[in-house]
Amino acid sequence: MKRALGWACLAIGLAMIPPGSAQQGHPLTGTWSGDWGATSTQRNHVTFVMNWDGKNVTGLINPGPDSIGLTSVFVDPTTWTVRIEADTKDKLHISAEGKLEDLGSYHRTIKGSWTQGSTKGDFKIARD
Amino acid sequence: MRPYYLLLFAVSAFAQSAATYDSSRQVKLTGTVTKIDWANPHAFFFIDVKDAAGAVAAWALEFGNPLDLEKDSWTRNSLHIGDAVNVEGIPARGPRRQAFAKSVTLAKTGKKLFMAAPRKPVSAAAHEPTPRWPDGQARLGPPPGKKGYWNAPSANALVDSSAGKIAMNGDGVLKNLSDVDRAAPFQPWAKSVYEYRQRTLLKDDPLTRCLPPGGPRQFQMPNGFQFIEQRELGRILVLLGGADRNWRVIYTDGRPQGQADEVVRGYYGNSVGKWEKDTLVVDVVGFNEHFWFANGGLPHTEALHLTERFTRPDLNTLKYEVMVDDPRTYTRPWNGGWNMQWVPNEEIQEYFCEENVEATLSGKESYK
Repeated sequence: MKRALGWACLAIGLAMIPPGSAQQGHPLTGTWSGDWGATSTQRNHVTFVMNWDGKNVTGLINPGPDSIGLTSVFVDPTTWTVRIEADTKDKLHISAEGKLEDLGSYHRTIKGSWTQGSTKGDFKIARD
Repeated sequence: MRPYYLLLFAVSAFAQSAATYDSSRQVKLTGTVTKIDWANPHAFFFIDVKDAAGAVAAWALEFGNPLDLEKDSWTRNSLHIGDAVNVEGIPARGPRRQAFAKSVTLAKTGKKLFMAAPRKPVSAAAHEPTPRWPDGQARLGPPPGKKGYWNAPSANALVDSSAGKIAMNGDGVLKNLSDVDRAAPFQPWAKSVYEYRQRTLLKDDPLTRCLPPGGPRQFQMPNGFQFIEQRELGRILVLLGGADRNWRVIYTDGRPQGQADEVVRGYYGNSVGKWEKDTLVVDVVGFNEHFWFANGGLPHTEALHLTERFTRPDLNTLKYEVMVDDPRTYTRPWNGGWNMQWVPNEEIQEYFCEENVEATLSGKESYK
């Protein structure tokens, strides 16, 4: 009975957690999720965490034990073109280049091309 | 007897926000009143409009703040269900059938029920010296035994004081987009974001989603604010009339400011203040990034650090000065500010933001 009550309380508590509010600061800051792949059927889930420190955007891909640190993030704020570079633990170079769209939206997106080693594809991520 | 006379009423900056209504367009409607909602802060009436083919469409028409309307002798009985009216108004952006009524005329008699007029200036208190506590310190609230609050900021937006005058509308939208560079010493990304918000007429303003106006913007809201000085507790409460009756605490008990990266981030930040002669100097850190800190859409980050200075040179005037320091957004600290006016013998009005209020009141999705 106590366990059931505990689960009920947990469920209610989780239900009461409000959805994330929009981040109105630097457009890249925050957590982004989406996928990349060489074809429309071969997709890989990807999560980015990025932060603007006043001079650079830093961050990582897929936070956790297998996370990949971003080596550079270039942003052109006149066009909101974004180029992200990183290296996997297997020494594969990742280069993702895309355009930030819906700048004022709660769930803005970045879409573009993704190169990982010799594999070329596309990616789309949306800010959570 | 129905009060069928010309009636001027105040148009609140909220009611006719550029984000909600498209002032570049006009709409003329003829219909029958089906419902009147006389509720603060948005009075609405609803009409059924029949087109040439006989199809009926329901429209929601906003016509101001009831408390302001009552000051101009408008009452909940000035308009009746069943009245046939002609309405001229400013339509809402997007496809929804909603407008802000600029004038309403009885179709049968042609008599005007009301016309929109600019907000009346706040009635100024007579010139009197700064009220003071027994120890001589300036009071930010009312003199003993009296009431009143602060309102009518002399500027609609916050801009770098070194930029000179920049023409803007009441929502902080630049008259000339080429003035973007003058508003503040932006980093390139911040300039681009500010320009985007200006170009899109502030459509993404968090205030339109009922999120609080932290930072200097709290002192630009239409319904004013009030200081409650609790000297025995070492704190000053700021009661805000224009943002869901939010409140903010300024600690004056001598506690140190918390580290910016340790405080729990909020819309109003963490405020500690001290008196420097007749000026209350308030240090504020700990802001989140979920709001716009000034009308017009100036961006900021969590690194935002404000130094606010409140000076009351006489009973009627509150001088507000603020230094904005956010090195992640701006290339240098910069200053701005404005004056506010004392509204004697009145309390701040009740105001609660109601997102998508017209659909809530009507219960109909057809307005969207």
